[in-house]
Amino acid sequence: MLYNDHFGIYVDVAMPVEDKSKSLLPFLSSPKLLPDESEVEFQSGLQSLLSELDNPSPLAVALVSQLNECLWWIRRHTVDKELLLHEAMARLLSKAGSNWMGSGNSALSVALEHYLDGSAHKDEVDFIDQALTEANLTLPDLRVRAFKDASRHIKMVDDLIHRQHQTIRHLQRGIDSIDYKSRLIKRMDLELAALESKQSAKGALTLDDESS
Amino acid sequence: MTMNHRRSLANRRNALKSTGPRSVAGKRASSQNSRKHGLNSPPDFESSLEYRALVDLITEEGFSAFACADIASGLLNYRRVMDAYYDTYTSPDPVDEFLRDVNVKASNPIFSELLSPSGSEPQDVREMAAFFAGMQRQERRKGGPVSRRSADTHKLIRYQRNGIARLSRAVRQG
Repeated sequence: MLYNDHFGIYVDVAMPVEDKSKSLLPFLSSPKLLPDESEVEFQSGLQSLLSELDNPSPLAVALVSQLNECLWWIRRHTVDKELLLHEAMARLLSKAGSNWMGSGNSALSVALEHYLDGSAHKDEVDFIDQALTEANLTLPDLRVRAFKDASRHIKMVDDLIHRQHQTIRHLQRGIDSIDYKSRLIKRMDLELAALESKQSAKGALTLDDESS
Repeated sequence: MTMNHRRSLANRRNALKSTGPRSVAGKRASSQNSRKHGLNSPPDFESSLEYRALVDLITEEGFSAFACADIASGLLNYRRVMDAYYDTYTSPDPVDEFLRDVNVKASNPIFSELLSPSGSEPQDVREMAAFFAGMQRQERRKGGPVSRRSADTHKLIRYQRNGIARLSRAVRQG
């Protein structure tokens, strides 16, 4: 059993939700994960979404799998927004500290990343403190300026997140229509069965009348 | 100035004189240089095994033959877009750290040294410095790896929009 943070529930990762021989998923390319992402977490998200379906048909499962991927992309893009800010902060510091440019932007980016994580070594802390002093900035000031500097790219990432939300809406409408269709078919089957039984009852009555 | 710095600038200057590929294989390879994701080329799903398997499985759900074909190709098309989306996201244009960090003004003596065998004028040195400065501006404008991958992925939004609209329409009308 795994705890899913997104839905706040425990999920059985190996929970069987469909007849594997009728699944569409083996014929579709599967969503790929980045090297540092957890496959188990991804699968647990998928299983918790599938558990929401009353009677999952293969097509509904395929659509839910796409929906899970969209949620995953939203997560990635949200992390990217923070990374964009870090990138812009490193760029601003590097611009301001021309006398130690020799050490390169990459070293500064790495040191800043560790500094913001709180996992920086003493050397890295000194390095960033010196850079901030030289630039005559505090960390909040730097963040504000970086936000302004990176606003164009942050807007792009917002567009990407918005697109994933729109895609989720489309997928949800598709899943609803499959669900509605299967209910409709079931209802029509029941009505047909009722009509047939009514018809056979009528037939029996007619036969009784004729015989009497 | 280090030797590496001098060599990099010389290599970049010499690369400007390149006349491009000469062999057939080289020309064929370079003809694909501008290919980004391949989403503009028309796909041929109908002849694939996956398409036929999908159509068979979707038919069992009570959709009409036309709807099954639409849904199967919609699904395959959507996966094609999302695969390209992932590839674009994971392989953005690499950052040219040398060009981004080089001090173009301080490199002027190297430019004049590189140009001196051809009897260059100070004007030539200025032009070369301006050329490198322009390339550096472009490189810096692109930003770091996260900015690049965001910008590259942003270009695929319209493909994703069209792909999901097609799939959703096929499912709802089926």
